[in-house]
Amino acid sequence: MRRYFIYIPLFLSSLTGCREAVIPEETRDEPPAIFPDYAGVTVPSTIAPLNFRAEAEYSRIDALIEGSRTGKVHVRGGRQAAVDIPQGRWKQLLEDNVGGELNVTVSLKQSGRWIQYRPFTVHVSAYPIDYGLVYRLIPPAYEVYGKMGIYERELSGFKQAPLIENTLMPGNCVNCHSFRQGSPERMSLHIRGPYSSTLLTSGGEANLYDTKTDQTIANCVYPYWHPSGKYIAYSINETRQVFHERRDKRIEVVDARSDIAVYDTEANELLSSAQLTRQDAFETFPAFSPDGLTLYFCSAAARTIPAEYSDVRYDLCSIAFDPASGAFGSAVDTLVRAAAVGKSVSFPRPSYDGRYLMYTLSDYGNFSIWHKESDLWLLDLQTNEARELSEVNSDDVDSYHSWSSNSRWFVFSSRRTDGLYTRPYIASIDEAGNVTKPFMLPQRDPDFYDASLYSFNIPEFVTGEVKLDAGGIENKARTGERIQMRYRDK
Amino acid sequence: MKPRPPLPYINNILSLVLWASVFVFFGCFYRYHLAYQEQYQMFLFTSGYMEETTLRIGGPAEYLSRFLVQFYRAPWLGAFIIASLLTLLQRLTLAAASCTGKGEGWAPLTFIPSVFYWILLCDESYKPTGVVSLLLVLAAFRMSLSIRPAASRAVYSLLMIPLLYVLTGGTAAVFWALCVVGEMTGGGLRAWRRLGFIAGGALLLIASPLAAHGFFPQYPLSKLWTGADYYRYQTVFPFMLSALWMTVPAVVLCLRLSPSKGNLPVHGLQTCALVLAAIFGIPRMTDWKKEEVMEYDYYVRAGDWEHVTALADRKAPQSPLSVAFLNLALCKQGLMPERMFHYYQNGPEGLLPSFVRDFSLPMMAGELYYHLGFINTAQRFAFEAMEAIPDFQRSARGIKRLAETNLLNGQYEVAAKYLRLLQHTLYYRKWATETMACLHDEERIEANADWAWLRKYRTKTDFLFSEEEKDMMLGILLQQDLSNRPAYEYLMAYCLLTKDLEHFYQYYPMGESLGYRTMPRSYQEALIYIWGLMNDTTDNIPYPVSDEVKRRVNEYRRIYVNYPAAEPMLRGAFSGTYWYYLHFRK
Repeated sequence: MRRYFIYIPLFLSSLTGCREAVIPEETRDEPPAIFPDYAGVTVPSTIAPLNFRAEAEYSRIDALIEGSRTGKVHVRGGRQAAVDIPQGRWKQLLEDNVGGELNVTVSLKQSGRWIQYRPFTVHVSAYPIDYGLVYRLIPPAYEVYGKMGIYERELSGFKQAPLIENTLMPGNCVNCHSFRQGSPERMSLHIRGPYSSTLLTSGGEANLYDTKTDQTIANCVYPYWHPSGKYIAYSINETRQVFHERRDKRIEVVDARSDIAVYDTEANELLSSAQLTRQDAFETFPAFSPDGLTLYFCSAAARTIPAEYSDVRYDLCSIAFDPASGAFGSAVDTLVRAAAVGKSVSFPRPSYDGRYLMYTLSDYGNFSIWHKESDLWLLDLQTNEARELSEVNSDDVDSYHSWSSNSRWFVFSSRRTDGLYTRPYIASIDEAGNVTKPFMLPQRDPDFYDASLYSFNIPEFVTGEVKLDAGGIENKARTGERIQMRYRDK
Repeated sequence: MKPRPPLPYINNILSLVLWASVFVFFGCFYRYHLAYQEQYQMFLFTSGYMEETTLRIGGPAEYLSRFLVQFYRAPWLGAFIIASLLTLLQRLTLAAASCTGKGEGWAPLTFIPSVFYWILLCDESYKPTGVVSLLLVLAAFRMSLSIRPAASRAVYSLLMIPLLYVLTGGTAAVFWALCVVGEMTGGGLRAWRRLGFIAGGALLLIASPLAAHGFFPQYPLSKLWTGADYYRYQTVFPFMLSALWMTVPAVVLCLRLSPSKGNLPVHGLQTCALVLAAIFGIPRMTDWKKEEVMEYDYYVRAGDWEHVTALADRKAPQSPLSVAFLNLALCKQGLMPERMFHYYQNGPEGLLPSFVRDFSLPMMAGELYYHLGFINTAQRFAFEAMEAIPDFQRSARGIKRLAETNLLNGQYEVAAKYLRLLQHTLYYRKWATETMACLHDEERIEANADWAWLRKYRTKTDFLFSEEEKDMMLGILLQQDLSNRPAYEYLMAYCLLTKDLEHFYQYYPMGESLGYRTMPRSYQEALIYIWGLMNDTTDNIPYPVSDEVKRRVNEYRRIYVNYPAAEPMLRGAFSGTYWYYLHFRK
């Protein structure tokens, strides 16, 4: 019995240790180096706690988060521990300070001394954000893929749930998920491999399609929904990969041929036009304008692939589209002449309010995720002026992007943390086009990203939880139940 | 009265013999299969890894298995582990069978599951997860035998079925079958209760995967019936494993129904049959060609080039990959152009194998590209091999190679990410910590002779990898730095192996600045052959070809020209020449 007494002082001292008063012996006039870097970011009021850790070595950490209007949260941690903010109190703090700021004071105990750093600010936006993100988690591999899948993550918490993983269909790949303006009800998704097909969901029903027709060069690839939900624009690409031997480059994904077609979901027909299937041009990355009357896309002069892969440069173009008849206009407009200045456009994404169009600009080609020079650009559709989004771009890859349903937020892929693994960043843009410093999608454990060997691929906002019957899809995929898409001949 | 045979002692000795046999087999004869298996996993001492591995059906057994497999890096330790697991399997089977005091004379039957698993484990696709699962199941069953009230035992058993399903996957069916055997051979339940118990158990066995499907909708139901990854390939559940499972309750049933305590002759007969089964079964599952490749790979991975050539001197390698490893070892020792045709050569695939979508070949073949300075290709092969691992594990060897290649590419942040992962392993921690200290430190990187060489000679010019144009890639590598002797020798070897004498002749002068004291033998042989095609005599050849080579080529030519079936006549004296390869190897 006696031996237990020796534990009592230890226990008591551990309790007092937890409540150790922070009396800074040194104050530094600089913000602490933290990961992820949340200093000065703007967040929606429903975002999950911005847990972080300090980059320096420390035996204890203390973070005081005070609202500019009201409320505060005090968090402490031990050796190299993360600042793990209680979710309930964080939620209340954000709600109480919508439109205001949070001031975060971090103190670190280093070599037995408390050092307090200059507080940093987190702005709490008044703009609401969508329910969550859907992304693909896949290692940044070359041609072979192991375990991967499409996942949904709620933004107000840390819950991530698989929508479909390839454990369900071993040897297959799932990719190119797309939603009609963020609606979880309408989704397009490809399955590649032995169960090759395209999944379309509508009103809780999921069907698998065979998208290759005699008139098209390949399967449907990059999708974009028409705002009505009646049409989906697809690029049709004959894609291959080649591999660099230079130290700062790895992979080149190139199209040997590519066209664009629009799928009429009601008539089960693929529609296209001569302007979108030119022999002397590569057309890809279609996207409908929010009014559904214009189809944006990228177009490059055709080259011999792979020999001339680095000479392929895409302009941003548009063509009129008539949703009533499914007919295309006769003229193609070039909105951004990137090729003329030695650049290449990919992923045109108009904001849903019709004001802007965001795209990725790289030196050549269309697979910008493998181009370190890739940056985001913003085209003002009212003034036709384009500008680099220097507020969010980094020295490394900044690429695939998606708008929230209210067009006040955008999420994009960036490789800025380590140069290889893609991470999702979210930034805000107001009516006047002012863009805020982006923040990395928060995780409960800030070391999550370091331990993860997956890239966050194609982050897309969704306005609600996606319901997908994975077992039913697997059954249809396995049994070969497919609807054959038809091509509408003129 | 004759004294009773000391069967318990003999049984104990047999267990020891089993342990020793398995240990010697895997430790001495099949050790490289163990090292091979270790490289296709990365056991991390982190809560995240534990969570990721255990939170699925059969996950705990898989976790334990992976914990053990990490020690296979030291094959003797791996042999010790397998021997211990299989012996434990036998002892638990005996314990499960002989609780009534009977069966000592039939104890050799309890070796059947162990010997069966020994045979299966000769196939590297069978993982120890299955053995661990069986051990857990047998331990649970043995525990049930210690519960005396029949009703309590029945309740315990019914509760254990779903629990064992979660812990071990489909092996829970073995537990149910053992329970059935236990009840049928004196369990103590009344008839109708016994029936209910058996039916209830079966129901739980069927309900468990169905219920699990609700929790794990991302796995097809067909996968959930078996649950755990006993076999490396996800879509396959081998029949042999089902057969093995059945042997456990069958053996227990046999022992429990055995008429007497047995006698020495019967015991001896069983033992002989068992030994014969092992002698018959093990060679059917062993693959010595793979063992050869794995052995080469093991020493190439360790950079023990002398050992690789010693292996080839002992027995000429046959598979393209083994030959490629031998050629690399010869090159590393400066012997390739002199001696490569002394060994069996099987074309350019035996020099630089092509990529296949597989987890095995790219991991090994990546070594060749790495040591030549094709850093990006080595990186790609490692990455692809890791992605191709059928049970979705990570590879410690692959991650190590990714860390190295990123370090050499100056991509220190990614290298650091991989190194931090390796710091959570047992065997790679030290290397990772030492390498971590080299990041951003040019002096330390240069102090490593291998890295310094690779940084000097690695590919710097940008070009696209092409399987069909390996000579072009080697040419670019050489053009970058004409002092790169391995690149020159590989380029020449490629020309020789593809029998592209025109390019060999064209590239040959590029080696003049490499300081060969005498022209390597294979080059002399190729040059004199080319010269002979263009000229009537070899006397005036303007290259430093030795008199012996001149004499031998004349002799070779005489036989080759004059005898229609010259190959057998040339094999003895000329099989180590380039001429023989040129004419008689495909």
